[in-house]
This record gives sequence, structure tokens and C-alpha cells, in this order.
Amino acid sequence: MSTWILGISALYHDAAAVLLRDGVIVAAAQEERFSRVKHDASLPVRATKWCLEQGGISIGDLDHLVFYEKPLRKFERILANSVATFPRSWRAFPRQMVTWLGSKLWVRNQLVATFGIQPHKLLFSEHHLSHAASAFLCSPYDEATILTVDGVGEEATTGLWRGTAEAPFIEPLAEVRFPHSLGMFYSTITALLGFAVNSGEYKVMGMAAYGEPRFRAEMDKLLRLEDGGAFSLDLDYFSFHYHPTQSYRPRLVDLLGEPRMPGEPFRPTAIAGDASAEAVARNQRFADIAASAQSAIEDALLHVVRAAHAEHGGDTLCMAGGVALNSVANHRLAKDGPYDKLWIQPAAGDAGGALGAALWAWHCVLGKPRAATLDRIDLGRSWARDQTRQILDDLGTTYEDLGDTSTSTTRAAEDLARGDIIGWFDGRFEWGPRALGHRSILADPRGADTKDKVNARIKFRESFRPFAPAITEEAADDWYDIAPAARVPLRFMLATPTLKPEREGSLPATTHLDGTSRVQIVRRSDHPHFHELITAFSGHSDTPVLLNTSFNLKGDPIVASPIDALATLRRSELDTLYLDGFRVPSPD
Amino acid sequence: MGRFRQTWIGLVSEVSWRLPGWPVKLLTAFGQAERGSFYDMLAAAEATDRPDLRRKYFEHALDESQHAIYFRDRVMALGGIDRARAAMEEAGALTSRGIVGGESLYERLGEIDFLAFVHVAEAEAIEQFSVYCDRELPDPETIAMLQKIMPDEKFHTAYPLHELEQRRKQGKGKQVDTALRRVKWNRLKEGWLRFSRDVGHVMSSVWLFLLYAILIPPFSLLGKVERGGWQAPRRDRRPLAVAARSQG
Ligand SMILES: [Fe+2]
Ligand SMILES: [Fe+2]
Ligand SMILES: [Fe+2]
Repeated sequence: MSTWILGISALYHDAAAVLLRDGVIVAAAQEERFSRVKHDASLPVRATKWCLEQGGISIGDLDHLVFYEKPLRKFERILANSVATFPRSWRAFPRQMVTWLGSKLWVRNQLVATFGIQPHKLLFSEHHLSHAASAFLCSPYDEATILTVDGVGEEATTGLWRGTAEAPFIEPLAEVRFPHSLGMFYSTITALLGFAVNSGEYKVMGMAAYGEPRFRAEMDKLLRLEDGGAFSLDLDYFSFHYHPTQSYRPRLVDLLGEPRMPGEPFRPTAIAGDASAEAVARNQRFADIAASAQSAIEDALLHVVRAAHAEHGGDTLCMAGGVALNSVANHRLAKDGPYDKLWIQPAAGDAGGALGAALWAWHCVLGKPRAATLDRIDLGRSWARDQTRQILDDLGTTYEDLGDTSTSTTRAAEDLARGDIIGWFDGRFEWGPRALGHRSILADPRGADTKDKVNARIKFRESFRPFAPAITEEAADDWYDIAPAARVPLRFMLATPTLKPEREGSLPATTHLDGTSRVQIVRRSDHPHFHELITAFSGHSDTPVLLNTSFNLKGDPIVASPIDALATLRRSELDTLYLDGFRVPSPD
Repeated sequence: MGRFRQTWIGLVSEVSWRLPGWPVKLLTAFGQAERGSFYDMLAAAEATDRPDLRRKYFEHALDESQHAIYFRDRVMALGGIDRARAAMEEAGALTSRGIVGGESLYERLGEIDFLAFVHVAEAEAIEQFSVYCDRELPDPETIAMLQKIMPDEKFHTAYPLHELEQRRKQGKGKQVDTALRRVKWNRLKEGWLRFSRDVGHVMSSVWLFLLYAILIPPFSLLGKVERGGWQAPRRDRRPLAVAARSQG
């Protein structure tokens, strides 16, 4: 008899469900891929339904359903914080209470009512414990120091843990509590720079490359590093802990200058175009703020990690939590940090809590030994080819059935070498926020105009952000300077190595202004088809690299189903769609 | 269109398009609705087993996606960049478009009711847009945009009607009438529920604010914002089997 555990994260952002059978991941998916609501936070009903289908079980067969945090503890923190910040919390308090008393407080009842699970099967992990479990328990390492960093969970915003080979598997060492939060620090700068909090953070990271950290002294006022790897925020500059929508106080504007208007075109010196001198100066300030915040958070993480290493030793660091998605900071940790081995759970944000919660139940609660590691990331849903063919026929689509994959990779490589931009849909969709060769838009990275073409005709997004290159494992070291500790995170596109000097200028579409790239190292065993495709492309171009960006248009979640892919083909200027071995040319 | 209904829509529109800031608000809401129906129609195209309808749902979905972009462009042109972005990017705002029990609108309603719903909802949209254009309430460019999408909206209301007529011919007239009645009634009911929920929301916010103003002050002296730096993790004294089952 197998033991089935379903982990769930929901009700804050990025809801997800993960199904384990005897500790091995059977299915893992974010709700947004099914509901098509980006960052969907509602209970992951559709993701759960599909996970159970994938496991061939019904809800009654589950041994446990595990929620990724403790809602009552979170509520206590919110209440205590409202009291402590009285009377400034007057706007936030009624709002928070309405949502909490109206629904969030009744998680147990909601889970029982929505999923029909028997109450005695319900377990509740803790937010940072779930992050820690997701980071360590499916890593390939027996022992590690674990660092979890995000905006906030119940009370903690940062957690330091020890991961052990035997029970208890995960031991808490220390924590930093709300409102002192590296995640909230970065989100506040994100808001100041006119991007949406909880989704625009990586735009700040992209912007940073255009600036110089000339506001570092100011950042050091906001985020103070203290002895023993500790840090704190100067709360006089922030209001996120008592204001429902405004995350900073006027003092921050006095310190850093006027905020950026959302949607304002970004025209710093390096890409000034025909912008006025005044606009360029203003935009350069924004770039410099981004660069300063990025430099500050990198230094803070290094500061934490060095102290942890000095105190607890070891050679391995496992990480999760939203801040661990900052690939530039990760690279800094890999390069300058004290650990030889670095492992970051690819769904490092709150979606990953579903995985952690399930693994925590299996190992820590049920006491089962360590087993599976997370290598393959195609853990989402796939569609049968017959089903896809039916849809293609019904929609009257012109297509070619290429049948087997090698024909498909050969043809796709030819298209790419000719300069086409293609949609690549292969098997099950990815776990985590990145498209890693299963739901990707691909292009030749050598063209000088490729980046603008993909931005303007397909992704409809800000042109200052770089695209990521995917490179075969065999060729990676010929092209990039890769810090040893960054090698594993690069499988999940979680670090940013530099292009080798002798390759300079050869990959303009995927190389950022500062020479770095958010590289994905593609192993044959993890992504056989994608690896074959890049290799075939290299046969035409001597370049074992493809530009790889997620298969979606701005504002949409990444495509999940064939019909999502076909709709995206029609709504953009993609040249060709490769859909599980069907080649669909653009209708116009 | 009923005379009473037309007058009512006219009155409401006269007021709402003239309130400062409201044109942007209205256009944003329409943009969101268009985007929401893009997803609804795409889900229907995926779920239906009728090849001809699949194609119509799919084309309908693509129209709505394009309309959402037109509305966003108008919002941006009117200086409401902020809201346009919220509408397009923070699709979280779309959760109110009616995902109940994790089913798409199509799955929830079934084919006949879904067709009835699409027909009724699209006809109402045409009604509204026509009133706006006839009374020249929005700015000229927005009127031009509304006129540009009108043929699409006519297609959106016509093909479901045609489909329902076919069913009538197959002797399912009663089913069709019931579906249309049910859909109209549900739209009224949902509108009312939304309204009462909003009112309830305001009421409870007022109560909670009073609670805040009266009850919190004495405790606020005791409350302290957490200090920064490392702290020892909270130790849970309960046995793991108990703590693991607890929400707190
Ligand atoms: Fe988190
Ligand atoms: Fe429309
Ligand atoms: Fe329509």
C-alpha cells in the first residue's frame, strides 16, 4: 500500500498543489496554469483535481493533506502588529479583519468543504518550515545549512536551519521576524520604482544592470547590517507594516527622490534614444536606485551566509523563499560566498511551500528516510497527442504531423537557424515560475535585433529586460565563466554567470548590459528533447545556445494546454508552433 | 430593448461618464471583463466536444483578447496607466470573474446554459455600448473604438442565439426558454448579491473601525513592533503529532 500526501499552498499568492507517493513527487503544479489567473491565490482546486488524476487516486485515498502554513499564527501576528502600530494601522486593520474573519481564518473548514477531505487527515506545517523542507528534503545533499528568505510567513521573514541526514531532518537555529524583512525591503524599492509588488521584483533586478550603486549609503540607512549576520530595517522609512497599500513613508522619497510612475518608459543613459536630457537623468536615477538596492540585498545575503558558515560550518547551503529567486544575488553567493555547494528549490516562492509541506509531512512527521531528489522539473500536466490532434482539426488549423521528436527537433532547429521565433510545447509543463524547455518561446540568440523583435512582436514587454540563454551542459564551460557552486542552480536558471571574454558580442539577444546572462544549463537526462533541439541548432550555427523565454504574453500565466498555446500563436507574431510533434505555422 | 431599461441605462451612464475619474474606471472595468471572457471562452473551446462550436468559441475568445487590448489602450491614452497595468498584469483582480469550485463557467453551466449566458451577456454589452455611443458620452476616440468592436459583439450574440434556435427546432424549446430565464435571473441575483456584499463589506469595515478605535488603544501600550536581528526560534512544547494537526 502506498502512502499518498498532498501538499497545498494558497490564500496569499501563487497557490499550488503537489502530490507525493511514498515521498516521490508524482505531480506538481501551480493553480494559475489551470485557472489562467496569473498568481492565482485561491485554493488550488483545479491543480488538486489534476494531481489526483495523475496519481490515479481520489481524495479519499489521501493519507494526508498538508497546508503550508499555520493560519492562526499568521492572524496573531497581524493582530499584534496592528495593536503595536496603533493608530497608524487604522486603514489596514478593518481591511485585514474583513478578509481574515470573512475567510482566511477558516482554512480548516474551507479545506474540508472544498476538497471533501476528512478532518483528521489535515496537517499544518509552518511557512518557513515549508520553505526549508522544500529547499533541503529534495536536494541531493544529506546535510546542509538551510536559509529561507522572503517577505513574511507567520512571524518569520528569514530562517536559518540545519538539515540532517536522519530525524528530525530539519532543526531551526534562528529567525528574523516581521517587519524586519529582506523581501519587504526589496518589494518597497520595487513599489518606489513603479512596479507591482510580488511580481515586479525581477524587473528591478533587470533595471539594476543599467545603474551604478550610488545610493548605497542611503540603502545602508534603510537596511542595517549588524553583528553575527543579523540585520534590521529602519522602520522610519517604511509603512508596509501598517498601511494596506503604501509600503514607504515620505521620508524615503526625501532620501531617494520622487518615485517612478508605473508604465513610464525606461530611458537611462545606456538606452536613451531620443529621450530628453531631463528624462534621461531621471531614469538614470531610477537605474541607480535599482542597482543600489540590488547591491544592498546581495551584501545582506552574503553577510547572513558568512556568519552562518562561521558559526555552523559545513560546505552546503540550501535555499528557498521568494528572495532566492533573485538570480543575480544567488550568483554572488555562489561566487563570493563560503559554501562549495548551493542548492535552490526552483519554485522558491510560495508555490514551493506546497512541495515543502508535503515533504515535511513525509519525512519529519511520518519519520520516513530521505529518498528522492528533484532533478526533472516537468512535473505538470501533459496532453495526449490524440486530444491535441482533435483540437487542431476542430479549429481548422493547418499543421504537419511530424510524429517523432527527432524529426521535430531537426525541423525546429532549421526554423530557428533561419531566424524564426518559435513556440516550443513539449510534454508536461514545468514546476516553478520559469519555462525551462517545455513551454518556451525560442529564438536564435545571435541576432542583434532578436531581442527587440521578441519584445515588440511577441512578449509585448519592457525592452530593457534581457532574455535568458539555454545552453547544453557539455558546452556550458566553453561559453560562460561558471562558479562551481552556481552549476546546480543553473539547471533551474537561478544564477547569472558572465559570458567568456572571447565570446563577447556573440550572443547579443541574451547578454545583459553588464555581460551577465540568466543561463539555463540543459542536461540531456533532465530535458531530452530540449537538449536534442539545442544540439541540432548548434549543427547549423556552431552555437549550442538558444534564447529561451517563457511561453506566454505579458499578463498571462505561462501556457499550459494546447489550446492556450494555439491562442498565444494567434495573438502574437510567433512564426511557428511546435506542439508535441505537430508543427503549426502561423496563419499569416 | 425595453423602454424602461433603456432609460435606466441612459440615466446611469449620463451620471457615471461625467464623474471625475470615472471614464478611466469604467474603461478599466470593461477591459477586465473582456479579458475575463477571453479566458471563459477559451476554457469553453477546450471543454466542448462540438467541433463547430469549438471553433466559434475560439474565435470569440480571440476577439475578446483584442478588445481587452483596445480598452487598455484607451485607459492609457486617458492617462490611467496605473489602472491599465493593474487590469492587464494583476490578473489576480480577475478572480472575481466567477471561478466557483474550480470549474470554468462552461463546466459550471453546461452547453445550453452557457450559450444562453453568452447570448444574454453579449446583448447587454451591445445595449450599453450603443447607449454610450448614441449619447456621445465617452471621448470621440473611445466612441470610435466601441464602434469598431461592435460587429464582433454582434457576432458574439448572434451565434449562440442561432445555436439556441437550432435546439428549439429540435424540439428542445422548453429547455432553451428555461436556460434563458435561468441565466437572466442569475445575472440579476448575482448583481444583487454583489451589491449586498459590497454594502456588507462597508458595514463591517465601519464596525471593525469602531472596534479598533475603542478596543485597541488600551492594548497598544503593551504592543511592541518586533526588534530586528536574530531571535531564537519559537519552541513548540506540544508533541509533534499534536502540533502538526494544529492551525496555530
Ligand atoms: Fe514565503
Ligand atoms: Fe468584447
Ligand atoms: Fe463580446
